Amino acid sequence: MTRSDVSAPHSLPRVANHLRNQVLELCYRHGGHASTAFSCVEILVALYHGGILRVDPSAPEDLDRDRFLLSKGHGETILYAVLADLGFFPEDWLWTHYRSGDHRLGGHVDHQTPGIETTSGALGHGLGLACGLTLAARMDGQARRHVVLMGDAECSEGSVWEAALFAAQWGLGRLTAIVDRNHIGSLDHTRNYLALEPFAAKWEAFGWEVVPVDGHDLTALDKALSPRGEAEGKPRLVLAETVKGKGCRMMENDPIWHVRPVTDDVIAQCREDLTWTGP
Amino acid sequence: MDGTLTMDHSRMDMRDAFFSTLFDRARNDANILVVSNDFGAPSLDRFRAELPGQFINAGISEQNMVSLAAGLTMGGKTVVVYSIATFVTLRSCEQIKIDLCAMRLPVTILGVGTGYAYNADGPTHNAMEDMAVMRAMAHMTVLSPSDAEVAKVCAERLPLAKGGPVYLRCDRGTWPALGEAETLVEKGLVPRRAGTDLALVATGGMVHRALDVASRLESEGLSTCVIDLARVKPIPMDLMALLASVAAVATMEEHTTHGGLGGAVAEFMADHNLVKPLRRLAIDDDHLYAYGARPTLHVQRGLDAEGATTTLRSWINDRRKSTP
Repeated sequence: MTRSDVSAPHSLPRVANHLRNQVLELCYRHGGHASTAFSCVEILVALYHGGILRVDPSAPEDLDRDRFLLSKGHGETILYAVLADLGFFPEDWLWTHYRSGDHRLGGHVDHQTPGIETTSGALGHGLGLACGLTLAARMDGQARRHVVLMGDAECSEGSVWEAALFAAQWGLGRLTAIVDRNHIGSLDHTRNYLALEPFAAKWEAFGWEVVPVDGHDLTALDKALSPRGEAEGKPRLVLAETVKGKGCRMMENDPIWHVRPVTDDVIAQCREDLTWTGP
Repeated sequence: MDGTLTMDHSRMDMRDAFFSTLFDRARNDANILVVSNDFGAPSLDRFRAELPGQFINAGISEQNMVSLAAGLTMGGKTVVVYSIATFVTLRSCEQIKIDLCAMRLPVTILGVGTGYAYNADGPTHNAMEDMAVMRAMAHMTVLSPSDAEVAKVCAERLPLAKGGPVYLRCDRGTWPALGEAETLVEKGLVPRRAGTDLALVATGGMVHRALDVASRLESEGLSTCVIDLARVKPIPMDLMALLASVAAVATMEEHTTHGGLGGAVAEFMADHNLVKPLRRLAIDDDHLYAYGARPTLHVQRGLDAEGATTTLRSWINDRRKSTP
């Protein structure tokens, strides 16, 4: 379907930087979880700007579109920035309607926003929803793909593993789950309260094909997320190793930034960190 | 009547009536799916055998079962999620709230075994909270058939609501057909008998008990109407005129006193300035470890015909004495 003019591979890092700056400014003005958005910027750029997802801003309800479900619904700012950049809704909505004005863009994603498939914010729902969508598509002989993005801390939810069992049992090969493995939950590093390792082995044991990837490497993400051509088989888990707060040095790998607001005393440093220095 | 619920075994169980009708429809409509948490029914055996692609055993994973049903519905399917009432409503509560209600998906949640239907199986299986929890959900419709014919009509008309899910709570056992099944599904209520002193409002299988109680009260000179209120949410506005025409109102339900049928009727009366005496016959908080046969449990909780009649007779008579 469509790709914006800025989506040529060489410009994707610049797109990611632009979107990261937009997330920063959104969080500075109106709140939001900046660090959790920063860890998945490249994942979303690879999916949307990189052309992995077949979606069309001019026909967001097209029945043949691929489905992307942001299961970690508290990463709303980066998805809003991506969708606005591609034209799913006017970019000024970011500045006039996110947690402000008549609040068309909520503090977690909801299905009423153009381009957003499901309501999220309560964790552990996305994978099960995607199982249903994938199975329905298979029943109807439709070739669309289904991609879910979860947080790693979200994988403490039992419902994630219920859905993981189901997807493997039913051979949902057109289902791809991405885990944003930033190693940090809301309060602490995951290793300190519910360690997930051996994480890849758990998914493999549940019957999934596991593809580890550097979650900030756009070229590697493109390869990991590209369709394989087979219609059915194992569901795929892209285990994206990321840095929570990526891009702003003070946020990187520090759990407090899951909830800490971007305030006047830090905004200058964050802006400096996110100043584009590439070609 | 001897204080036990009157069942006519020559007739069909509500669930079986629902599934046999659904099977007939599903044979001609591949989009109709049943999703279960490893829970079956004799009436589902044929469905599973002849339409294996339309029956999905999600395993004992109620949360995923509901999310899965939501995804299937978003994908264009007509889905019934089926389990024991307490499991499908409580174990997957947040999935119902977010995936079904918030996204306004017309999934049918079929829960069987309301109240003490599972007899001695205890607090894990009996459902005393389902109406309260489902009633609190935005865009949820709560329907409680009073006989197999009503359940059959529900299956014929699936999906029963376009703007959100429907919780269809089916009692176990077989019940005499009361008639007007289509009217009950369409309008949400049917007056089953007329009366002016007292309106007895009931839902589901308990409607049959209410008719027994009304008959007893009538023989003692208390003119009692019975309202079969199948649609507990949203409450049909027709209830207002029916309650306005009686001196007092009572509700009967096999459900906790908190937030069920009695709560719904109380809220309805308060919201519409229907100021008149109201008595709620329901189950108190002491229900959890009540083991025994259902009729015995009803006697213990005053929901048997004799107990309910005694309670309501005393209540009405006491009010008459205290009212100059």
